[in-house]
Amino acid sequence: MNLAFAQPWGLLLGLFAIIPLIKSGQKPISYSSLVLLPEDRLSFWLDLALRILASLTALLIVLGMAGPYLKEQWVDKIGSGAHIVLLVDRSSSMNENFSGTYLGGTSSESKSAIASRLLAEFVERRKQDLFAVVTFSAAPIYVLPLTQDHEAVRSAILALGGRGHGITNIAPGLAMALEHFSGKPVTGSRIVLLVSDGAARMEPEIAESLRQIFHDEQAALYWIYLRNPKGGKLTEAPKNANESTSPEYYLHQYFESLGIPYQAFEADNPKALQDAIAIVESLENRPLVYQEKLPRQDLSGRCYGAALICLLVLLAFQTLEVKAWNL
Amino acid sequence: MNEEFHYRVGWRATSSHPGHHPGMQSGGGFEFNGLVPFTSQPDPRNLDIRAMIADPHQQLMVKSFRQRAAIPVFLLADLSASMGFIGKTVKTALLAEFAAATAWSAWRTGDPFGLYVCDEGIHWDISLPLRLHKGLSDELHNRLMHFQPKSNNADGLLEAASLLGKQRALVFLVSDFHWPQGQIEAILNALIRHDVVPVVCWDSGEYENLPSFGLARMQDPETGQRRLLFMRPALLNTIRERFETRKQELMQICIRHGREAFFLLDRFDPDALTQYFYHS
Repeated sequence: MNLAFAQPWGLLLGLFAIIPLIKSGQKPISYSSLVLLPEDRLSFWLDLALRILASLTALLIVLGMAGPYLKEQWVDKIGSGAHIVLLVDRSSSMNENFSGTYLGGTSSESKSAIASRLLAEFVERRKQDLFAVVTFSAAPIYVLPLTQDHEAVRSAILALGGRGHGITNIAPGLAMALEHFSGKPVTGSRIVLLVSDGAARMEPEIAESLRQIFHDEQAALYWIYLRNPKGGKLTEAPKNANESTSPEYYLHQYFESLGIPYQAFEADNPKALQDAIAIVESLENRPLVYQEKLPRQDLSGRCYGAALICLLVLLAFQTLEVKAWNL
Repeated sequence: MNEEFHYRVGWRATSSHPGHHPGMQSGGGFEFNGLVPFTSQPDPRNLDIRAMIADPHQQLMVKSFRQRAAIPVFLLADLSASMGFIGKTVKTALLAEFAAATAWSAWRTGDPFGLYVCDEGIHWDISLPLRLHKGLSDELHNRLMHFQPKSNNADGLLEAASLLGKQRALVFLVSDFHWPQGQIEAILNALIRHDVVPVVCWDSGEYENLPSFGLARMQDPETGQRRLLFMRPALLNTIRERFETRKQELMQICIRHGREAFFLLDRFDPDALTQYFYHS
């Protein structure tokens, strides 16, 4: 049984519902002799109906006061639109092209320009998804919350094509990206799409807390790693491995150890970047079956509503009441 | 101003008190009652010469006359709760008016008047013993008018019926007669010795002047029963028919017990009552 009461003792008041059955509130008119008045079937049934209705009204009000509710329950849902947080690197190295040559901030061939153009197209194709944008370099920048306003998202992404500054500091960016999910119901898959061309060392404590947040928010992570030819590969362990010279490898290891859906794509040219985005897109097209916990549902409002309807009916009949026999 | 009506009875009063009505006693009057020898009624004023000549024994003969006599007039009033109905008029006020008129008419006719106000017992404080009263005092009239009927039966009427005395009397029985048939019979039978005028005190508000539409919760003041009535034209007709039938029923019962009923509807018309007496 899913029904429960917030104040079950309030139901005791329901005993008062007997009163309208026994006694009518209408002021009786004294008449000399009832025996002389004809028995009227319609009046009899009407009287009975009104009494029952009055009693029912009292019961409904009492029921409302007792605060009935449906207990919380889990329901299966199929999510359609994904929630995607674009976490884009804006460090100065993003101004380079894929071969590692520094181009100006306004160049249309820089990694950031290409990434922003391809991401804009990606956003364009995913009409039903919600997007949020966070950029980061030394510190994360909050750009857009999760929104369905694709125009705003597109503009925000195109604005990323400009000149980048500073170093790559991934951890605060991830934290901010994950914050977008907190406190929202899970209605579709949650994705953090990290676009960066490098990584940085992460403090163990921060790494642990991020792991926790990833699990809490049930988010998936895709990392599009814009590798330049000199940079290390994610899958091959560097020869003299340490976190300051090849942080990408360690970051990759860390991500894989998170135990969440995670995939990394290495893109070392615009074509590879486009492919990577296409793969992400195909991966996230599948529907997501998830369980949602419905909060308990307060039914007292419905009780009061029904009581109100009954009261209105009673009120209508009250206006028909004859106050005095002879006017 | 007290209203007055005239009444007459169709029987001879046994009373020896001189009065207005035909009596049994011989005495001073105008109603010839035959010839008697002078020795039995030695009143020379009434000597009948023609009778003396016609008499073979030449006796002295006198005319004998019947004396007109007074009759007791009683008013038995039912003031059970149903008489508390207030419609077009207040029934107790109507009753007070009628009592005043009766008392005054009895005085004018020269008859003693007695009043018994009954519900479950007799209300002695507002009743009158059989005396020559010069009408009803204002005080008693007021008390009758403002009486609040509460009792749920009228058994006091039976008790009062036994107090009226052996002498045949004219009894006005004022009630709404909202009684079961048996009770009406019982009271009329208890009054069989007397000449009973049933005065049916009804109000047009009871059956004529009704609310035409709506929900009316009626309460019977005697039984305490309550009933909801959904007033509508069809029901109004039924109620009117019920009262019409009831009227016929009452007529039947009353005629069987000696007199037609006199209906006191909304107002008291003394002329109508006079007509009632002189037409029947």
